[in-house]
Amino acid sequence: MRLRPFALLAFALALAVALALSCPRPACAFGDIGAFDPRVLLTGNQTGAARPSAPGRWAWELVQRTSAPARLRPSVVRADDPAIVEAPFLYWSGDTEVAPLTGSEISSLRRFFALGGILLVDDAAPGDRGEPSAFGKSARREVARVLPDSSPIAIGSDHVVFRTFYLLRRAEGRVEGPASLEAIVHGGEAQVLFSEHDLGGALARGPSGMWEQAVRPGGDLQREHAIRLAVNIAMYVLCSNYKDDQVHAKWLMRRRTGTTP
Amino acid sequence: MLSTHLGPSADLPPWAVGLACAFAILSLALLLVEMRRRERGGTIIAVSGLLAVTALLAAAVRPARVSARESTVGARVVVLADTSRSMALEGDGGRSRRVERDLAIAGLQKKNPSVRLVVLGFGDGPPLPLADSSGGDATSARAPHSDLGAALRALAVSSDERPAALVVVSDGRLDDPPEDAPEASLRALGETINVPIHTIATTRGIPADASVRRVTAAGAAVAHAPLPLRVEVGCAGGLACDELAVTARELRDDGPPAVLASGLAHVKDGTAVLDLTITLERAGARIVEIAIAAPPGDVIPDNDRRLVTFDVGREHVRVLHVAGHPTNDVAALRQWLKSDSSVDVIAFFILRTMTDDARATQNELALIPFPVDQLFTEQLATFDAVVLQDFDAQPYGLERYLPNIQRYVRNGGGLVMVGGTNSFMAGGYAGTPLADVLPVELDGSRGATSADTMTFVPKWTPEGLAAPLLDPLRSVLGDELPAMPGANVLGDLRPGGVALWSHPTRSTKGGHDMPVLAIGEESDGRTIALGIDGAWELKFSQLGADTGGRAHGALWDGLLGWLMRDPRFEPAQIEVVGGCTAELASMLRARIVASSGSPREGHAGGTARTAPKVVLDVRRIDVESPPIHIERVRPDEASPVDFALPALRAGAYEARLRLGEGVTTRHDFACEAGGDEWADSRPDAQRLRALAKAAGGSFAFSSELDSLPLPKPTVVSAERHVTPLAPPWTWTLAAAVLLGVHWVARRRSGLS
Repeated sequence: MRLRPFALLAFALALAVALALSCPRPACAFGDIGAFDPRVLLTGNQTGAARPSAPGRWAWELVQRTSAPARLRPSVVRADDPAIVEAPFLYWSGDTEVAPLTGSEISSLRRFFALGGILLVDDAAPGDRGEPSAFGKSARREVARVLPDSSPIAIGSDHVVFRTFYLLRRAEGRVEGPASLEAIVHGGEAQVLFSEHDLGGALARGPSGMWEQAVRPGGDLQREHAIRLAVNIAMYVLCSNYKDDQVHAKWLMRRRTGTTP
Repeated sequence: MLSTHLGPSADLPPWAVGLACAFAILSLALLLVEMRRRERGGTIIAVSGLLAVTALLAAAVRPARVSARESTVGARVVVLADTSRSMALEGDGGRSRRVERDLAIAGLQKKNPSVRLVVLGFGDGPPLPLADSSGGDATSARAPHSDLGAALRALAVSSDERPAALVVVSDGRLDDPPEDAPEASLRALGETINVPIHTIATTRGIPADASVRRVTAAGAAVAHAPLPLRVEVGCAGGLACDELAVTARELRDDGPPAVLASGLAHVKDGTAVLDLTITLERAGARIVEIAIAAPPGDVIPDNDRRLVTFDVGREHVRVLHVAGHPTNDVAALRQWLKSDSSVDVIAFFILRTMTDDARATQNELALIPFPVDQLFTEQLATFDAVVLQDFDAQPYGLERYLPNIQRYVRNGGGLVMVGGTNSFMAGGYAGTPLADVLPVELDGSRGATSADTMTFVPKWTPEGLAAPLLDPLRSVLGDELPAMPGANVLGDLRPGGVALWSHPTRSTKGGHDMPVLAIGEESDGRTIALGIDGAWELKFSQLGADTGGRAHGALWDGLLGWLMRDPRFEPAQIEVVGGCTAELASMLRARIVASSGSPREGHAGGTARTAPKVVLDVRRIDVESPPIHIERVRPDEASPVDFALPALRAGAYEARLRLGEGVTTRHDFACEAGGDEWADSRPDAQRLRALAKAAGGSFAFSSELDSLPLPKPTVVSAERHVTPLAPPWTWTLAAAVLLGVHWVARRRSGLS
């Protein structure tokens, strides 16, 4: 009788193992590599994203809210690293002026864009009304060197980025900023998105679970809208212009006329 | 034959003899005129004058005895006998038109023994010596066409002895010249050879027959697009038919024929035209039966239906792209699909599952319901291909529609299952109707592993190296492939499946290398299993970047192209040489374009080998019948491979060709009992009559051969000997003496 607890434990363990073996085992790492990876782009003497916790939080929010898989530990890649071509998305943020890109950095970035890669330039220190910081101005200057034949245009709520998952009326981040984003569009697809809203600032969340940055002027609602914009950008990377398909048009038109965030 | 006769001296040309004779006659005429002025002695003057003129003529022509060995050579007359299938139809007196034709030729020979008759048969192209059909052999009435024009043009340029005349023996139902051809074109046809063309009509009587005479399509057949057809039906030979029901049905591989259209043709003056519109949903060779319900008394039931093969093309490929969740692989495939303007993509991506918390109301979301019922019932047939990418069948209720997808594939649809954590076994497809159409087995047993998460580099199989559908990828990437982050666990190949890539370390239960990319044919459709979700790395990777990202598009170019039966990606082009006629042997020719399967430089994958064996399976589509299996050794890579098919019954057939153990290609074809030649069974003596009139010949029915004027024979002389009757001086002397006598007689008669 003294053995009975052990026997029960052994039986429970055996049952658990048997149950585990009886079900088709899901793939674990399989599929991860195709997941959304908000890869941090570093140039010059940059050592990390302006809001280091933001990419991870971005991935977490995406996984929680959508069916899209994402890397909860996003990778970091330097602009002159050959690995820059190994995924379709780059996240470039900063709050200080960036050094001019070297020849190899420009060359690598051009290779990345030639494959159809998408870059999000997120100004982490814009003015309250979205005035670009030194980072924003210098990043635009350097992007213009990479893509000399293109210039950014404003994209508003009629662009597919604003309806890839959530129906959004405007762009918002840590600061309210301008209602639209700017983008360099090539062949109908946005290659570079410029945000003057400090999107990373709205996403950044410390280990304690507290938001790192206050969101002004809209508070939590504005933060929610910023997260939704981040989710939409991720969905744009993963689905491109899927929501521009005709099959969605009548549904979305009907909802646009109703209540929207 | 030796003959002797008198003639002029051999050194005189014919014109000199003629001139001498003319002068002699003129002299006699003048003598008669002068005799009116004579006073007496008319007789003596006439006699002496006649003798003198004769002697003068003899002195000029110097008569000789001509001995010659002569022979008679009959004129060369070419008989062009119609060998088309219509000659197998019934003619007059219960005999076939072929028998009537042969009797007419025999009669012609009998009535004109001196004529050298050369009997040729015409049908397709240049005329050929007519097979002897006196023993009842019907092979001389098998040609699928009756192209008299081509035969005449071939004779005109032939180096053989030019004929003195042509005789055409036919029922008059010709392809060229066509019915109601203008006289000018008939004359032009006769001038191509420039000898008289006589014509003999074999048949007078019109059989009691209702038939589908002609089917014409307005433009090319395009999948999903309405195709107007014009159907001409006829009723002849006193058959009572005011209305004929016409039906158009597609003969399908899986299941009964599908009725595409039907209508009622109102017959007036023995003919009617009915316009039907059909829509063919599948590209490739599609066989449509156009049939009439013939009234009782129809003596030729074989032409009550026509089997028309439409080579259905595509203006656009409609692809249904369903993805279980958005990933880089989904994005890459979507971008490729959208980049091709010939592809219409209907996409549905699951962006939120039941467990996701979007923290928004429905109106704040840009999500629409997944119309699974609508897509997989009423709309399914409108797609050319369905791509299920990392899609779990269970949560979205797709399980209910898997039988529909199975049926869709077997009816000619294309299906691609792309790997991921929710594909194949993990998606709950094992043991379902959909698994029955995939090219690989799926293990549905408890404890079965659904995925291998180890990174690996796919290995080319020999079949993959030989498959044209991967040529675009190989031309961009060579034989190198990027490392893949794991694979779905796939089972052994199902019958008809071919592995193009395999796993370098994993094996199937059957002990074979685990397929990673496999293709298969299932009835009329095709399927692809791609057990990875890292194909996007052909674009975003160091290897992909070295190719400018083109490798990903090149892979899908080949896969979708093969799925859509794009000829560029077929391992062989197949044709039935000269078409297929029921009950006659035919020849199927395969031009193999698949490469030998040799790896390119630097390749470390599959074993190089050729595929010398070519296997052909021919199966009837419309009804069950024993299949025909033929194996041939491929002589070399350049030569086509010919397969002699036995006589087939009228119907629709599919021919599947497999190169060794590699990919297959399919060609559908129809065998008709009579084809165009039986479509209109009425003989057309009027056309033959018009041709003879325009080409300077005569027309006759086969029973009236006496009225046909064939050329006379030519006499040819050999060993000719000319011997003078007397030396020339004797003729001169005689002429001088007789002239002197005549002069004396004139003087005595009072003439000067």
